[in-house]
Amino acid sequence: MAAEKTVTTTGLLGWIDNRFPLTKMYKEHLSEYYAPKNFNLWYFFGSLAMVVLALQIITGIFLTMHYKPDASLNAAGIPVAFASVEYIMREVPFGWLIRYMHSTGASAFFVIVYLHMWRGMMYGSYRAPRELIWIFGCTIFLMLMAEAFFGYLLPWGQMSYWGAQVIVNLFAAVPLIGPDLAVWVRGDFVVGDATLNRFFAFHVIAIPLVLVGLVAAHIIALHEVGSNNPDGVEIKKNKNADGIPLDGIPFHPYYTVHDIVGIAGFLIVFCAVVFFAPELGGYFLEFNNFIPADPLVTPPHIAPVWYFTPFYSMLRAVTDLFTWVMVGAAALGALALLRSNWPMVIRAAGVAAIVVLAITFRVFDAKFWGVVIMGGAVIILFFLPWLDVSPVKSIRYRPTWQKVLYAVFVVNFFILGYLGVLPPSPIGQAYSLAGTVFYFGFFALMPLWTNKGQFKPVPDRVTFKPH
Amino acid sequence: MKTLILSKVVMRSAAYSIFFVCAVAAIGIATVSSAMAASGPVALDSVPQAKLSDKAAMQNGAKTFMSYCLGCHGVSAMRYSRLSDIGMNEEQIKALLPEGKKTGDYIRTSISRNDAKEWFGAAPPDLSLTARARSSHSGTGTDWVYTFLRTYVEDPSRPTGWNNKTYPGVGMPHVLWEMQKTKSPAEFDSAVGDLAAFLNYVAEPAQFTRKTFGIVVLAFLAVFFVIAWRLNKAYWKKIR
Amino acid sequence: MSQSNQELSFPSPTESIEPERRTWLIACGAAGGVAAAATAVPILSSMAPSEKARSAGAPVEVDIGDLVPGAIKTVEWRGKPVWIVRRTPEMLASLEKVESQLADPKSDRTAFPVPQYAKNRHRSIKPEVLVTVGICTHLGCSPVSKFETGNQPGLGADWAGGYFCPCHGSNFDHAGRVYANKPAPDNLEVPRHMYLSDTRLVIGRDEKGEA
Repeated sequence: MAAEKTVTTTGLLGWIDNRFPLTKMYKEHLSEYYAPKNFNLWYFFGSLAMVVLALQIITGIFLTMHYKPDASLNAAGIPVAFASVEYIMREVPFGWLIRYMHSTGASAFFVIVYLHMWRGMMYGSYRAPRELIWIFGCTIFLMLMAEAFFGYLLPWGQMSYWGAQVIVNLFAAVPLIGPDLAVWVRGDFVVGDATLNRFFAFHVIAIPLVLVGLVAAHIIALHEVGSNNPDGVEIKKNKNADGIPLDGIPFHPYYTVHDIVGIAGFLIVFCAVVFFAPELGGYFLEFNNFIPADPLVTPPHIAPVWYFTPFYSMLRAVTDLFTWVMVGAAALGALALLRSNWPMVIRAAGVAAIVVLAITFRVFDAKFWGVVIMGGAVIILFFLPWLDVSPVKSIRYRPTWQKVLYAVFVVNFFILGYLGVLPPSPIGQAYSLAGTVFYFGFFALMPLWTNKGQFKPVPDRVTFKPH
Repeated sequence: MKTLILSKVVMRSAAYSIFFVCAVAAIGIATVSSAMAASGPVALDSVPQAKLSDKAAMQNGAKTFMSYCLGCHGVSAMRYSRLSDIGMNEEQIKALLPEGKKTGDYIRTSISRNDAKEWFGAAPPDLSLTARARSSHSGTGTDWVYTFLRTYVEDPSRPTGWNNKTYPGVGMPHVLWEMQKTKSPAEFDSAVGDLAAFLNYVAEPAQFTRKTFGIVVLAFLAVFFVIAWRLNKAYWKKIR
Repeated sequence: MSQSNQELSFPSPTESIEPERRTWLIACGAAGGVAAAATAVPILSSMAPSEKARSAGAPVEVDIGDLVPGAIKTVEWRGKPVWIVRRTPEMLASLEKVESQLADPKSDRTAFPVPQYAKNRHRSIKPEVLVTVGICTHLGCSPVSKFETGNQPGLGADWAGGYFCPCHGSNFDHAGRVYANKPAPDNLEVPRHMYLSDTRLVIGRDEKGEA
């Protein structure tokens, strides 16, 4: 007979508990998982992200029942994929509703995830021992960008087609293997039916599976160490006689009930868009995408969807001039290394490596470095837990000038995003260059500036106003 | 890393000056870009809003479409039978049907794409979504259609003898020229408005239902929000 | 400062929930139920036949002017084959002879209800013209026509003519009625149909409207 288990539940629940840790999981993750009691508005976005993920999966399943990933033309001369979307909009009962929920959900997902990430940045949620949660989160963000990119090709409109054409051509910018890599990704020499079908496979099953797994890992890692809070105070440092944090409250029922309010509020905004403004001025459903894809005609103004525009601005900022800026940054890095007190061998090798790198900045096309910068802007986030050396976690206790820098970061991100929507212009180019340098400088120089200045004393217990 | 020593004063002034520069840049860009928008696409006339929800106007537009447009342009995402949405009964729909078509058929044009491309320089596009696709900051796609059909000018240098102020160099001739000659300007504008209203409906037949549903859903959600808020309060009262 | 977490923990099943919490829990549960139903209905309805499927299911008109006696014509209606047979006098005569071998000679079973005008021995409006759906009522294969009478391989010594389903061996007579002790339980379906003229037949619609 198997080793005796000690479960306290009886009946059907007891039968299950002897074979599956149901009550154990319920206690560990809900009724006896203690979360800080001082969560504010910024703490809604995690649960909202889960809600939108579920929404996208469900609406996605029902869309897949009717959508056809086929780039060939039907009898009326319209690509079958494009026509199948209009079929959903007009002939499938409530197809229009499911489509709008999915398109609005995609944009909502990014709004929520950006706000969720910003919460992490403000309150130092990425600091030890939560680095792995942050890393899983950054990976989720990357996967989400890929998911959105693959999904956007599926309606097979003009924006879908030319957006994919441009992004896949970014791969062609990689030195030596680029062009072959691009052909391999596309499955053809230009974006076509082969590309559409494989992007369909990625969007519908491959990435969603990975996303669900990553979200599970993200939450498991969170529950292992416990949530941070707006004061950056570790609630586990002050426990009562039973070992329960004094500032902790059981997630269920307090935060389950709390999150329902968040969901209700989100649904109001979400449904207002779905039912009254699904296009949202051409930002959620782009006007050009109502024209079927035409490989022979490029629309006069291609821009990525709004959630990619900040990174798109950075891509566009990397011109020949920018590569000189990169050389300058490399020079500063070499100088800093020389003045450090690391062993001479390391310093010499490091400077040599930096010199070689600086040469490649000028030898390889600016086009390639644009891709690197754009990717680097997301990759640098992964290193945040080690770049931030501030003695406090939360922005609340940082010096005022640091709070200003954080505000500047946000404003800069918005401006870069706005510029990405517009066609290029001299003033836009100039700002994008400065804005990109600021973005990277903000993170890369964190080891230098985050521990400077007058910090406010961090309290022992969280600050909480009863309500 | 005792490399570059940054004094508190230097850091603080750096932060504030960056903030100031960003603020100025933001305002500057906002001004410049709105200027750009104004000098961008042609200004569009707004189609009379009342027509967009007027079934009689849309029915008129449907008839005009079948008589003047179907020869070259399809609206192949629509079925003839769907016109019951705008109040046409089975007889009226059957009266619109071209030879050999059934009410369940999609509204397709019979002109060959290749022939049309040869004659006009470009294949006449399907108009199912034109009222959405031609939207811009200057106006909706429906406004674009309304303006386009009313800004034809004679131009002997073009193969068709016509050019268009909204779409310079267009391959399409002024199909409605006779209508424009025989009707008064107000009547012509009204007929074109009806046609635009019809294409507006064709671009998204669900638009009328969706708004009705939206009102019910938002009303329910407002109530749900209040209930959720009260539930939350009932639990959190205990937290001190 | 803060009260004990013991007071905050989730009440055990033996404790009752405070009245205020209970009120709002019930209200929230009810509203949530309405929301769930209101969401489920459109999403599940999207699986119902779309306009395209319903259009493809429209009635089909057939011209039988060229149908000679003994000939069978097949048309597609709702994705299914429909047989139209102009039966010879011999075929019609066989209908009475085989009745003792049939499972449901009077077409009384209700799985595929026979329209009023076809509730007779020949199961049709005009005795010579049979209109029936060519799908075996066992598991959906399409039977083959076996009009040759007499000793037929696999059909017995005195096969009177009719249809044979190769999948599991069910037999049907010249009115589509199933033989007894065969896997198929029901006679072949007779769709609603009507004559627009002597030679024009519409399948899927009769005086009472569309099927």
